[in-house]
Amino acid sequence: MRLIHYTTPHGRTYSPVFARSPWAGLEQQMDRLFGAALGESVAAPVAGFPVDLYEDAAATYVRAELPGVNRADIGVELADGTLQISAKRVRKVGDIEETAALSRALTVPEGAVQSDKISAAYENGVLTVTLPKREEARPRKISVTVA
Amino acid sequence: MSLVSSLIPAFASATARSESTPTARPAEPAVAPRHEITETPDAYALLVELPGVARDGLELTVDHERIRVVGRRAWRKPEAWKALHRESREAGFELALDHGRAVDADKIRAELRDGVLRVALPKAEALKPRKIAVA
Repeated sequence: MRLIHYTTPHGRTYSPVFARSPWAGLEQQMDRLFGAALGESVAAPVAGFPVDLYEDAAATYVRAELPGVNRADIGVELADGTLQISAKRVRKVGDIEETAALSRALTVPEGAVQSDKISAAYENGVLTVTLPKREEARPRKISVTVA
Repeated sequence: MSLVSSLIPAFASATARSESTPTARPAEPAVAPRHEITETPDAYALLVELPGVARDGLELTVDHERIRVVGRRAWRKPEAWKALHRESREAGFELALDHGRAVDADKIRAELRDGVLRVALPKAEALKPRKIAVA
């Protein structure tokens, strides 16, 4: 099951990994139906927290909404072609502390990212992970002089 | 009736707005943020999740009957960025709660940190529990 129907010109794909909910497929179907009925293009979050994916010529960007999380409790990991964003949210209910673990995973195309140059920033409760593209993955502009 | 029910979402706000403005749709679309209200004997605590909202995009207004939170997202997608997949919304946040004079508007404290707004709403003196000495 893939949520992101996106293919790079190189045939590589980014797609979130679904293993969490047995209803993920159904939920997606429902969301698609409702989304179509309401004329919305925004997909519903499936597990954990909403994630947006952007790209420009130089990099791919992942933006995750994680309000009220300590920077130290955010983990960004790239291993075996999977980018895992995990966070711990601590809520105080009276004297009891509740900890919720949140996580999302995205598959990153093998060899498309300069994995040693990945950076992340957390601002206003939104995490932005920047995945710089490898030189060969960047679109190249070639000017041809016509004689 | 529990006192916490005196902090209720102001459902009337949408109707009131559409009556006051001739256009049916508000100029800026807004969604209701996730929020939580807790109560102690002396105060209510309001927690509102406002991811992507910075301090200058936040408006918190309290009058004698209503608490209103309006948040605009600080981040705008750069021109060159192409969206591959979206789950978040660009719409801002709007939340209106009626407190029905249960709150002491002069003593409200609010703090916005990492996309979470915490508002301490001390109860109006008249609502605080009072111990009456029995002679």
